[in-house]
Amino acid sequence: MPKNIPIDPIKTFSKSVLKSSGIPIHQYQKSIQEELKIYGKENLIELLRHMYIVREFETMLNSFKTKGSYKNIEYIYNGPAHLSIGQEAAAVGSAFALKTEDKIFGSHRSHGEMIAKGLSAINNLSRNKLNSIMDTHHDGKLISYIHKNFNNKEFNDAEMFLLTGVLAEIFMRELGFNKGMGGSMHAFFTPFGAFPNNAIVGGSSGIAVGAALHAHLKQNKSICVANLGDGSTGCGLVWEAMNFAAMGQYKNLWPKPFNNNPPMLFCFMNNFYAMGGQTLGETMSWDRLSRIASGVNPEQLHAETVNGSDPLSVADAVIRKRNILLEGTGPALLDIECYRFSGHSTTDTNAYRSREEIKDWKSFDPIELYSQKLLEADIIDKKNLDNIIEKVQNQIEILTSKVVDRELTPSIDITKKPTIIGDFTFNKQVNRISKTANDLLMDINQVNQIKNMKKKSRYGKTIDGSLLSGMRAITLRDSLAEAIIYHLSNDKSLIAYGEECRDWGGAFGVYRGFADIIPMNRLFNAPISEAAIVSTAIGYAISGGRAIIELMYSDFIGRAGDEIFNQLAKWQAMSAGELKLPIVLRASIGSKYGAQHSQDWSSLLTHIPGLSIVYPATPYDAKGLLASSLKSNDPTIFFESQRLYEKVEIFNDKGVPEEYYTIPIGKAVKRKKGRDITILTIGASLYPVLDASEELINHKIDAEIIDARSLVPFDYDMLISSVNLTGRLLIVSEAVERGSFANTIATNISRFAFNNLKAPAIVIGAPNWIAPGADMEKTYSPQTDDILDSVFRDFFPEKRVNKKGLRKDWNFLELAKKGL
Amino acid sequence: MTDIIIPNLGNEISEAEITEWLVGAGEEVEEGDVVLLISTTKTALEIEAPVSGKISQINFSDGDLVQVGDVVGRIE
Repeated sequence: MPKNIPIDPIKTFSKSVLKSSGIPIHQYQKSIQEELKIYGKENLIELLRHMYIVREFETMLNSFKTKGSYKNIEYIYNGPAHLSIGQEAAAVGSAFALKTEDKIFGSHRSHGEMIAKGLSAINNLSRNKLNSIMDTHHDGKLISYIHKNFNNKEFNDAEMFLLTGVLAEIFMRELGFNKGMGGSMHAFFTPFGAFPNNAIVGGSSGIAVGAALHAHLKQNKSICVANLGDGSTGCGLVWEAMNFAAMGQYKNLWPKPFNNNPPMLFCFMNNFYAMGGQTLGETMSWDRLSRIASGVNPEQLHAETVNGSDPLSVADAVIRKRNILLEGTGPALLDIECYRFSGHSTTDTNAYRSREEIKDWKSFDPIELYSQKLLEADIIDKKNLDNIIEKVQNQIEILTSKVVDRELTPSIDITKKPTIIGDFTFNKQVNRISKTANDLLMDINQVNQIKNMKKKSRYGKTIDGSLLSGMRAITLRDSLAEAIIYHLSNDKSLIAYGEECRDWGGAFGVYRGFADIIPMNRLFNAPISEAAIVSTAIGYAISGGRAIIELMYSDFIGRAGDEIFNQLAKWQAMSAGELKLPIVLRASIGSKYGAQHSQDWSSLLTHIPGLSIVYPATPYDAKGLLASSLKSNDPTIFFESQRLYEKVEIFNDKGVPEEYYTIPIGKAVKRKKGRDITILTIGASLYPVLDASEELINHKIDAEIIDARSLVPFDYDMLISSVNLTGRLLIVSEAVERGSFANTIATNISRFAFNNLKAPAIVIGAPNWIAPGADMEKTYSPQTDDILDSVFRDFFPEKRVNKKGLRKDWNFLELAKKGL
Repeated sequence: MTDIIIPNLGNEISEAEITEWLVGAGEEVEEGDVVLLISTTKTALEIEAPVSGKISQINFSDGDLVQVGDVVGRIE
């Protein structure tokens, strides 16, 4: 909603026709002689050799999957093999056109693309650089293995390094590029520009855009490519990602030199089938995949359909698109039509396509066609061609024989190190904040909103103990703002975006005034594309940046489900710690807006391994924990409650320090000492529990209150020592009770403090139905009376106190039996 | 006589601070003129004159805290 792009009603309603400029289909027509002049003989032959390597590599995998052997090597491979036999020209042609520093991101069917990119990088890198990459990767273990097992004169050690790294990864061995933690569908090796492949269809699209954004902000003259399947054109994220890369704001609003679009190429390896669903004519509406670009921007993403059975046609297109991207007028889209001879997976019986169709396409086998082309043009003779084929087969055979050998190439021994996968999950690293960013638009202290905060009391009470207004004392909202602006102004690698983040200052005002300080390229409004918001942050982070993103309401987490559950949470472990995801996802728990805007979904995310999760309830904690989250190199979900934004600090009598500080993630805090019962609160439930504890004193029950603050990791030490003294535990959370994290804590306490428990641990959450609207909301989140009723009913029945809460007569077992 | 009232300021916000009166008592205003700036912990708002007329009363000064629904001034 920038005021400098006015929306003119006269212009809006004037009559016109929206024109599109046409999309080239198979317009490539260079002769082989022209290409020879461009690339030279050696490179044209090298292209062919790379295609043979990819073909033989995948033929080997296919053979293991279908026959349990390849040549004389027997091996049962239990993992997936989504092969791209028939698509080699697309992979190799594209890689041939890219520079080493260009990044490709792949799909579940990307062995070929990754190998091709690696082979291209090996040809382009200097020997010194190659040595340094191979010597430093996993402390040189893989390259030592290569030198030990293969004759350096017979085989190019860098190629053996690449192919062994990929195959060992597919076969889940420790020598794999990601120690076998990624496997076939997640393999990658970033030094060669091969970034993560992704087992979720379309999953790479947004991640690649985030990487392109990083390249753009670094101005490093490289491009990012998402290699996607045609089936992914049915995925929402892909459309979100295309728009994110094409957004108008780059050109219209971003400052120089960032006032053009990120260098992003959407490369669809269009083999016409999404597993067994035929995209062309059945599951998709486009008759030509490239048509989708017409829906994205006036430039139609410079889209083209090119012939994926000819590597030179593909290379030609990628080179032209790359140039466009480096000029900043991207993004671009290529529809590379090709055909997969192999099944979707090795259990594919081709039930969805005819033998005739497969036969027709055999005459367009890219390797056959290209070999023929080189032979006819006398670029290669039959003898040399046979020699290449023999060498490639020999190369694949010998490296395979070593990788299948479990003695020589073992997997990580999980029986010996049973928690090692856990060790890959969090890196627990902390970022050092560098120095004041040199791109600030204004001195922070000159900005009105910041000046206003400075006038406020740091503590929320007056000397006589009465509560100060949020207009007069620092609120939780202010404390979040202080932590974020500190990081944004002292760490240029940090970007902040989400819905309404800039001019509006965030839907809840946390970013108010920031637009005067932080340039647009580091603080911007994202489209309503929750999936792309999270996905691009991942790409930005794995490229070396840091991001704080927000989804406005935490209820919108569902819109970014895959990106949070399968991408944000998993890439550190799937890369065996190789990738770092320093991302803070702010998720605001709503109120008063009903079922789709008032849910505490903290438990939903604690269920997903791989995310740090914090949920502060006081201004002091909010500032310190957000600072820790922003310093952390692990992905962190930061829950906020809209009911608490106005809260002032009442616990820490020195108030919220004006200066920067951190509070360690994973440490709870005792809000009140007591001896009769421990009440653990999660997030906003702290406040009704405090009120309840005052009432309990009248009944001679002295409650100890612990505020969890962090859920993952959770401070079991503090809770266990408290429960060991009180013997009773009540957990109060606003998350729905069924399956909530509070129940996990209750179970653990039942185990670890069993001997000292006088009663079973009890959980109060929201009931297992929808959050009703504002006027009925108090029937939903646990209220003071609900908490008191539980204490009297479940722990002190002898007190015989009249129950007052709405749930006083509920039969919890009967409700549970009804699914409620 | 028409009241100038502090409007509903959004979810979970109940009070605001008078940032600045842009008009004084006795001044003539047109309906829609911005007469008052207020700020909440979340944002800054411009309050417009609900009708044309003369400002007859100003009940709060710059810097005062006001609640949603408070009558901060009157127009006659």
